[in-house]
Amino acid sequence: MGAAIVIKNLEWKYEHTTQFALRGVNLEVEENTFLGIVGANEQGKTTLINCICGLIPHSFNGVYRGSVEIYGKPVLKMSGLEIATQVGLVFADPEAQFTAMTVEEELVFGLENTGYDLGKIKERLDWAVDVTMIGDLLDKSPYDISGGQKQRMAIACVLAMNPPIIIMDEPTSMIDPLGKQFIFDILRKLKDAGDRTIIVVEHNIEQLAPLADQLLLMQGGQISKVAPPARFFDDLPMVVGSGAYPPEVTSFAYWLKQSGRLPQEHILPYRFEDGVDVARAAFNSARKTDEPIP
Amino acid sequence: MAITAEAPGGARAAKMRKTLLGYVPIESPFYRYHPVTRLVLFVFIGVVPIFIDMPEINFALVVLTILLLLWGKADLKRLRIYMPMIVTIAIFMFLVVFLAPGNDPTYTPVRIGPATIYYQPVFFTFASYWRLMAMLFGTILYFSTNRERDMLVALRSLKLPFIASYVVGFSIRAAGMFMEDFSTIREAEQARGLDKSALKLADQVKLYVMYLVPLFSIALRRADEISHALFARGYNFTGKVGRGDKRSDYILTKYTMTKADWAWVTGLVLAFVAAAVAEYGYGGFRLVHSPINILLRQALGIG
Repeated sequence: MGAAIVIKNLEWKYEHTTQFALRGVNLEVEENTFLGIVGANEQGKTTLINCICGLIPHSFNGVYRGSVEIYGKPVLKMSGLEIATQVGLVFADPEAQFTAMTVEEELVFGLENTGYDLGKIKERLDWAVDVTMIGDLLDKSPYDISGGQKQRMAIACVLAMNPPIIIMDEPTSMIDPLGKQFIFDILRKLKDAGDRTIIVVEHNIEQLAPLADQLLLMQGGQISKVAPPARFFDDLPMVVGSGAYPPEVTSFAYWLKQSGRLPQEHILPYRFEDGVDVARAAFNSARKTDEPIP
Repeated sequence: MAITAEAPGGARAAKMRKTLLGYVPIESPFYRYHPVTRLVLFVFIGVVPIFIDMPEINFALVVLTILLLLWGKADLKRLRIYMPMIVTIAIFMFLVVFLAPGNDPTYTPVRIGPATIYYQPVFFTFASYWRLMAMLFGTILYFSTNRERDMLVALRSLKLPFIASYVVGFSIRAAGMFMEDFSTIREAEQARGLDKSALKLADQVKLYVMYLVPLFSIALRRADEISHALFARGYNFTGKVGRGDKRSDYILTKYTMTKADWAWVTGLVLAFVAAAVAEYGYGGFRLVHSPINILLRQALGIG
């Protein structure tokens, strides 16, 4: 498995600003893996993904140093169309990406741009609609559907184009809990298919961590930590101090560890099921020592 | 959003669908016809009045349009929103012609109480008003029975370049979104206690000027977002596509021109040409042929 994305010494400063939004970013994302990006607001998460999908520097003015390569080709040397066929981007605000009058037109717009024939367009459209469960919305205006439906549609637009790399910028930030669950279900399906590199910026680490192969923490325009979820929370105070809120189960296990009720060598869990095991281990340990669990 | 109505069984069924420019019925006999046919009908009803001076024919076109609205299951109650426009146009047009009728010695003065009006400019204004109304109702008919998508399909079927139809689509969308943003800003003001009715006229004008600042900044932000969205979806304004030479147009495959469409298009185009020839070749629709004009002139003794 090779690298889908290679970022070397990337620095970016927006026009009319005094500070670099990204500083010395180095990253390699393996092909067909799931990378979760977390961090507080204004730390460079969106800027980083804009660099990967070529919006920076193609559509923004500023100072660009270093390189971003998609399958070995520098983004700087790729056309917008070329990038779009390799990298699909789902914006945080789905309405920001609507360009057509009906959901169906919206879905086929990108496919038409890439030059697919009608048969292929129909095939891709049906597949994307099936994955995102928006078959009943095709005839509607993108503005007349709910927030969750809009986001599913935005994801379908990107899926339809079938890019090997999919990036989602806070895809659940503007939707209700049920809608969020729908989005994570779709992400789960994509992850299980295992034929795409997926990058998701998300504040909801609780649901992101179980999906991610790697978690990346952005802080002050730099990558502060990259690790598999099992090791990501090793230094929990640092993660929390960077503005990333860990899963409840991780905080609970950390508290057990700090209070000596869980062995220090125990890895902090991030899945609910693992949390149950940790709680059981702590309970058994307390029973052995007859220490009451408060 | 859809407007719903209580069905006889108690179920609520959607009747109308919101578009960026208004409402269209969810089901309408118009939808049996290709968007091109509907566009040609619009061009016919909306443009033919240019050739027609006779108010009777333009009035008949208005009646025809209302019948078509009824047949097309459009919501006639929504026509009320056009009433201020219809009345205001009449007031302005007739006020101008009463106050400034022109200075032509051939005009025939008519005394109505203490006021004197002049027959020829007043009748010409009357005829022009019905011409405008015919065009306005034609436009209302089109936007009440066609979604934005239908308009774009019609334009693209007529081989308008994709980029041009896209710009039309964006313009329609921009108009709708501008109105939505405007209403959001006003609601936000009301929520913070602004009572517009308590403001003096001058302050109300100032308020409208103040709306421009947020509206422009929102519009600029949206333009930026759309530009990024187009980039992310691989669109470029050269019309160049990734594979192959020609851009596929998937949506057009959803519509087919039937024999009935061709018959209507042919009939309407012929009628359009006939109207143009009748007017410019033979003066067939001039005011001198208007029965109302003839009757009034006889009644007033104008030669």
